[in-house]
Amino acid sequence: MINLKDVSYVRLGTPDMESAETFATSCLGLQVAERGNKALYLRSDDRSHTLCYTEGNPADQAVGFEVEDDDSLQQAAATLERLGHHVQAGSAEDAARRRVRAFIGFKDPSGNHIELVVRPERSGRRYFASRDAGITGFSHIGLNSTDPARDERFWTQVCNARVSDRIGDIPLMRVNSIHHTIALVRAPQAGIQHVNHQVQTSDDVLRSFYFLSERRVPIVFGPGRHPTSGARFLYFKGPDGMVFEYSVGVDEVEDEATHRPRQFGFEPSSFCMWGSKPAGMALPSGK
Amino acid sequence: MNPQSHPLVVSVCYVRLSATELHASARFAADIFGLQRVAENNGEIAFRSDHRFRTVSFSNGPNDNSSIGIEVWDEPALDEIERRLRESGFATSRASPEDCQLRYVQAALLAIDGSGNRIDLVVRPRQSGRRYFPSRDAGITQLHGVGMRSTDLGRDLKFWKELGAEVSDWVGDITYLRIDGLHHRIALYPARRHGLLYAAFEVETLDNIMQNIYFRQERQIRIVQGPGREPCSKQIFLHVEGPDGVIFSYVNGMSEIGPVRRPARQFPRMPESLCDWGSESKDVPELSAGVS
Repeated sequence: MINLKDVSYVRLGTPDMESAETFATSCLGLQVAERGNKALYLRSDDRSHTLCYTEGNPADQAVGFEVEDDDSLQQAAATLERLGHHVQAGSAEDAARRRVRAFIGFKDPSGNHIELVVRPERSGRRYFASRDAGITGFSHIGLNSTDPARDERFWTQVCNARVSDRIGDIPLMRVNSIHHTIALVRAPQAGIQHVNHQVQTSDDVLRSFYFLSERRVPIVFGPGRHPTSGARFLYFKGPDGMVFEYSVGVDEVEDEATHRPRQFGFEPSSFCMWGSKPAGMALPSGK
Repeated sequence: MNPQSHPLVVSVCYVRLSATELHASARFAADIFGLQRVAENNGEIAFRSDHRFRTVSFSNGPNDNSSIGIEVWDEPALDEIERRLRESGFATSRASPEDCQLRYVQAALLAIDGSGNRIDLVVRPRQSGRRYFPSRDAGITQLHGVGMRSTDLGRDLKFWKELGAEVSDWVGDITYLRIDGLHHRIALYPARRHGLLYAAFEVETLDNIMQNIYFRQERQIRIVQGPGREPCSKQIFLHVEGPDGVIFSYVNGMSEIGPVRRPARQFPRMPESLCDWGSESKDVPELSAGVS
């Protein structure tokens, strides 16, 4: 079994690095850690970076998950190869670009580019935001799936993810005590569906709603509250159509042994208990 | 009586509103806002929001007949208030038994503040033995307070101080008045005319505030301002348009004033003094930062 500790970073290609930086700092509120060779490193918490924009095609996306150590990484590579995944060992230069000691890359069954990393770097300096959005850290991702049942099996049987709740056949999966780190979303092709950052309070969610609305950032869902995780949320659109989410108050699964996934119906009230409806953002379709 | 042993006034206990279209107002109160209809007496339709028998009523009649009810501690306290208000030159009259019956109270002093707002100072307003059961799940837990339009802030402040109210904070000349442990129950807003600006109803959680927003959006009912949070009182609010220009508000989370007295704080009349989140009132000048 591949033991994922946490999600580490997201890498997003973009043809327009300048717009990406403007959005990331003046709207999203991340801190520029470093401007590298055709790469922009952004911080959201005590890690050296959690989001990296690279110059290129927006379809070039990757999600990094941390594993325990080199041995775990080698075992993960062997496991994935045995199952027929093409595993790419990361070069030393590519590892340095990701600010990790070592990594491998592979594609999940839907074709999402996933990286497993060892010892991602922390920063000695605390996170200092570019605007007061109240961000406390990068927390989870929504991941497209062409077959949620198949991909749930991959994440829960090949990896250590556990289903916390389901909406229809869409699983919300955790790899630690946080309600979910990976939310699968049914879609016709692979891709990152959204990138979540946690904020301090529900005040921050509402403040950002007005702040982003005033700046004409498209609000695609919310402000709302997920009945599954209990989180208050706001989804909005960034460069290249990528959806970002702020949320606060995600439940923790307290008792790993006794937690049973709850089944929610595939309907709007399962996604928002306040009554907000998505606009300009694909919700997973039911069938 | 010893004024130190207990306050003179206890709570804002009702708003009586004149309605140009009585039944439309009643439909708003029950079906849209989420109050419980309890009685109709002499053409006045009464609604509950909490343990009290009624906190809102509508009747046909000229707008000037609207009043708010302030619960007074007891009869001696009412005598004391009557003495103080007369000394300060405010018009007062004792309510007749019919007036009391219409107000569901045992005794009342009908007073007029410096702006011309009718303030009923009432003793023993009727409670209900049955628990509150609203017509829809809006999450209302109580009538929380009122916002009053004021054309004469100096006189109105004098009026409320005679009742024992204290200023918690100012935003420009907007004056937040407390009569119990909470930041304010009454707020005075400088205005060109007198009248009730809003009646505020507490809801259980932020969830209810937000649900009420989407409930309105789906029905295309105008929101005056919010969701927002008052920086002074930390209270989350949603102001919605009610009948005849009166605003009905859902509120939650007002801060308490601790046992240690502090001077009233002055905030400038700017958008960020009126809402921490960034909401603004475009159409109601009393609530906006632009006018004072």
